[in-house]
Amino acid sequence: MKGRKKIFLQLGICIFFLSIVGILINNLTINLIRTGLGFNFSWLLKPASFALAEHPLPYTSSDSYAWALFIGWLNSLKVIISSLFLSTCLGTLIGFARTGKNSLLGLISAGYITIIRQTPLLLQLMFWYFVGFLGLKDNVFLGIKNIFKISNQGIEFSGLTLSSEFSALLFGLSIFTSAYIAEVIRGGILSVPRGQWEAFRSLGLSERKGLFSIIVPQALPAIIPGLTSQYLNLAKNSTLAIAVGFSDIYAINDTIINQTGRAIECFLILLTSFLLLNLLISNGMEIINRIIITSSKTN
Amino acid sequence: MLRLVSGIVSLTILLAGCAIPRQENTSRLELIKKRNELICGVSGKIAGFSYLMSKGSYEGLDVDICKAFAAGIIGDSEKIQYRPLTSNERFTAIKTGEIDLLSRNTTFNLSRDSSGGNGLTFAPVVFHDGQGLMVKKGSNLNSLKDLANKSICVGSGTTSEQNINDAFESLSLPYNPIKYQDPNQVSRGYQQGRCSAMTSDRSQLASIRSGLKNPNDHIILDDVISKEPLAPASNGQDPKLADAMRWIIFALISAEEQGITKSNIDEKVKLAENNPELKPLRRFLGIDGGLGEKIGLRNDFVVKVIRSTGNYGEIYERHLGENSKVQIPRGLNKLYKNGGIMYAPPFK
Amino acid sequence: MTVSVIKLLIQKLRKTLFSNSSNTLISFILILIINLACFITFEWLLFNANWKVVTSNIPLFAFGSFPPNEQWRPAIWIISLITLSIVTLFGPRWKWLRKNLLIAWGSTIPLGLYLLYGGIGLSPISSRHIGGLTLTILLTACSSVLSLPLGIILALGRQSSLPLIQKLSSIYIDVIRAVPLIAVLFFGQLLIPLFLPVGIEVDRVWRAIFAFTLFVSAYIAEDIRGGLQSIPHTQIESANSLGLNQYQIIRFILIPQALRIALPALTNQSIGLFQNTSLMAILGLVELLGIGRSILANPEFIGQYIEVYVWLACVYWLVCTIMAILARHLEQRMTINQANF
Repeated sequence: MKGRKKIFLQLGICIFFLSIVGILINNLTINLIRTGLGFNFSWLLKPASFALAEHPLPYTSSDSYAWALFIGWLNSLKVIISSLFLSTCLGTLIGFARTGKNSLLGLISAGYITIIRQTPLLLQLMFWYFVGFLGLKDNVFLGIKNIFKISNQGIEFSGLTLSSEFSALLFGLSIFTSAYIAEVIRGGILSVPRGQWEAFRSLGLSERKGLFSIIVPQALPAIIPGLTSQYLNLAKNSTLAIAVGFSDIYAINDTIINQTGRAIECFLILLTSFLLLNLLISNGMEIINRIIITSSKTN
Repeated sequence: MLRLVSGIVSLTILLAGCAIPRQENTSRLELIKKRNELICGVSGKIAGFSYLMSKGSYEGLDVDICKAFAAGIIGDSEKIQYRPLTSNERFTAIKTGEIDLLSRNTTFNLSRDSSGGNGLTFAPVVFHDGQGLMVKKGSNLNSLKDLANKSICVGSGTTSEQNINDAFESLSLPYNPIKYQDPNQVSRGYQQGRCSAMTSDRSQLASIRSGLKNPNDHIILDDVISKEPLAPASNGQDPKLADAMRWIIFALISAEEQGITKSNIDEKVKLAENNPELKPLRRFLGIDGGLGEKIGLRNDFVVKVIRSTGNYGEIYERHLGENSKVQIPRGLNKLYKNGGIMYAPPFK
Repeated sequence: MTVSVIKLLIQKLRKTLFSNSSNTLISFILILIINLACFITFEWLLFNANWKVVTSNIPLFAFGSFPPNEQWRPAIWIISLITLSIVTLFGPRWKWLRKNLLIAWGSTIPLGLYLLYGGIGLSPISSRHIGGLTLTILLTACSSVLSLPLGIILALGRQSSLPLIQKLSSIYIDVIRAVPLIAVLFFGQLLIPLFLPVGIEVDRVWRAIFAFTLFVSAYIAEDIRGGLQSIPHTQIESANSLGLNQYQIIRFILIPQALRIALPALTNQSIGLFQNTSLMAILGLVELLGIGRSILANPEFIGQYIEVYVWLACVYWLVCTIMAILARHLEQRMTINQANF
C-alpha cells in the first residue's frame, strides 16, 4: 500500500477508535459521578477490617487494603508454585506411563487423562473440597501419630499445617494440570524420531537408561513451550480458589469491591498482578529453555 | 513487556479523563410508574425472606414487601420482576439502576446510608435482627470467648464478616475465618464439621437450622454480636421514591395497629365511606385528605397495599410465624403496644 | 479357531503386560486396583446412591426455571441439536444432505434465540428463566459464533503492516491472554453497565456472552495467526502476480486456508469454552453447574452432593466427547475437501 494511503487509513481508524473509546469513557465518568465513586487509589491505605485465615506474613484486620491485597498475591503464589511442582511430577509420571510398554498402564493413563480433561475444573475442585476433604466429617482419614494426619481440617505433617481449602485447591489444580502436562510430554516424546529408539535398543542400553539419556533430552525442546503455556494456565486457573474458600488475590479483590465499591481500580490492580505473574513464569521458563538449549549444544 | 506496560498505562490514563456530567432528570418513581413494573432485588436463597420455590416463584417476607411496594406504586402486586442478587452484587446493582429497590435482608447502617458511603436511602426497618452464632449441641461452646482460635464459617463480603472481626478484636482473641462466597456453602462447611461454628444474622441462622436434618442438634448462642436492622433500600437519588417506600411500610404497620387486615379491608372501606365522622380512618384509606398524592402515589394506595399483602403482622405470620417452616419469635418486631418497637407515625 | 484366537491373545498379553518381572508385577497390582475400584464404584452406583435427586430434577437440570408450560421450546432446540449431530455423524452420504447440513447447523443459533427468548407467535421469556444445560449450550454457541469473526480481525490486525493497528491488536491479545477468565467474566458483569448510558440495560446472559467473546477471541486470534503463518509465502506471491488486491487475497486465499489449518485448535477452544461456562456458577448464573448448586441447597436434597457432582461430570463428559467426535469428523471432511482440489 502506498505511504500516503497508509497514513490516511491509519488516521481514519484512529479517529474511529478514539471516538468509540471517548463515548465509552464519557458514559463511564457520568456513571461514576452518579454513583459517587470517582477514581482514585487513596482508599488503599485505609484499614481493611476483615481478617484472613491464611497469611504467609503477619496480617491483622487493622492493616491496610494494600497489605491485604499483597497477602492475597502471596497466597496465590504459594498455591501456584506448589501446584507447579506437584503437577509436573504427576504429569511426567503419567506421560511416561502413556508412552510406556505396559499397555494396561497406558490404557489407565489414557482413561485418566480423558476423564480429567473432559470435565470442568470448577466441578473437580468442588468435588475435591466438598466431597473429598469436607466429606471426611469429623474423622481423621489417615494418621501417623504426630507426624502425618489428614482430616477435614486439612493436612498436617511434622508441624506444618495445610488448611483443607489450600489442600483441595492444590490437589484439584495439580491433577487437572497434570493431565494436560501428560499430553504435552507424550507429544514431546513422540516427536523424537523412531530411529533413536531403535538405535539405543540395538546398542544394548536398558529401557530406562535409553529413555533418560537419549530420548528425553531430545524431547525437551519440544516440551518446554507446551509446558510454559500449561504453567500459565495453572496460574490463571488458581483464581478459582474463591469457590473453595481460599483467600487468593481474586477472592480478596472480590471482598474489597464488595466493601468499597471500587470496581475499576481493583480491576486494574488484578490486571497488574496477573501480568506480573505472567512475566515471572514466562521469563523463568525462558531461562530454563536457554539452559536446555545451551546444554544440548555443548553435548 | 513494553507493550503490556504501555497497555496498562494508556488504559489508566484514559480512565482518569473527565467529562461534563449531564443532569439526571427523571425521577425513579415516575420511571417505575411509566414502566408499569417494579424491578425488585432479592436474594432467592434465604428461606422465610426470599426463597426461589421449585415452581419458579419467589416467597418470603422480603418478597411480600416488594409486593406491597408494587401494589402501592403501580396498583398491581403481581407486576414485579424479581432479580436474585448475591451479597457481592447487590449494591452495585442498585447504584447502577439495574434494579429499582433492594428488598434483600440488608442491614441499615451509617456507611450504607450516607452520601459519603454507599449513598443508599433506607425505608423503615421491616425486621429487627442481630448477628448470632450457631454451634453443635454437645460441642461445649457456650459463648464467644469459647470460640477463640476456632474456625468460624462466614460469608465473604457481608457485614457478618466485619462484625465477627470487630467482636473478636474487642476481646483481643484470635480466630480463623473460613470464608465462602455462597451462603449455602457457609452452612455446608459448618454442617460437615469444617468449622466449629457459623455466624450470620439470627434470622438466617433460624432459617438454615429449620432446613437441617436434625434441627435440635444445633444451638443458636445467646450472644448478640451486633444490631442488624433489616430494611429495604433505594438508590439515594430520588426523594419521591424514598417517601413512597417509607409510607408504604408505615401503612403496613399502622394497619396492624388499627386492626385492618386483608380480610376486613373492604368492609373497613365501606365503613369509612359511609361514616364521615371517622376522619382518621378516611384519611388513612385515602377517601379524604389527598395524602397519597403528596407522596406521588394514588390516594387509595393503602387500600391497594392491604388488599394484596395484608398488614405487617399478617406478612410476618405468613412467613416467619408459628405455622411456617422458619419460625422466628417476633420479639422486637412486635407492635409497640405489645412490647416490641414497631411504630408508625400518624397519617395526617 | 477360538483356540488360535486365545493363543494370539495370550501372546499379545505376554508381550505387552508381562514382558519382564517388573512389568508383570505392575500389571498384577494394576489389575487388582482396577477390580477393587470397579467393585466399589458399581456397588455404590447401584445400591447406596440415591438417584432421586437427579431423576426428580431433570427439567431443572435441562431447562432451568423455564415456565413448565413453555418447556417444549428449549426441548425442541436441544432435540434438534442432537438430531443434527446424529445425522452429521451417521447420516447417509447424499450430496444435497451434506450441503444443507452446514446451513442447518448455522440456523440452530437463530432458531435457539427465537425459541428461548420468544418473538412472533411465542410469548417472550426473560433470560432469567433460561438455565441448566440450555443456558450452557446457549452461552457456548453464541460466544463461539461471535468470537470467530473478532478473532479473525485481531489475527489480521496483528499481521498488518500498519503499525497502529498492529500495536493495538497485539496489546489487546497479550493483555487478555494474561488475565484469568473469571476476572474477565466478573468485570463483564460488573463493569459493562458502567460503560452504557443510563436506561440502556444489557441482561446478564448477554453480558456473559460478551465477556466470553472478548476472552476467547484473543485465543482464537493466536490460533489463526499460527494458521496464517504456516501458509507458504508462494501462495501470496502467486496471488499478487495474478492481480488480486489485498482484500481479495485475505478473503479468498489466506482466511480459508488459515481456518483449515487452525481447525483442531479452534474446536479445542470451543470444547474448552463449553467447560468454562461452568465459571458462571460463581457469578450467579444458573447454568448447569449453578443449577446443581441450587438443587443441593434445597433442604430435601441436603448432603447428596456426590450424586449430583457425578451426574454433572457425566453430562459434561458426554457432551464434550460428542463435540470432540464432531470436531474430528469436521477435520476429516475438511482434509478430504482439500484433497479434492
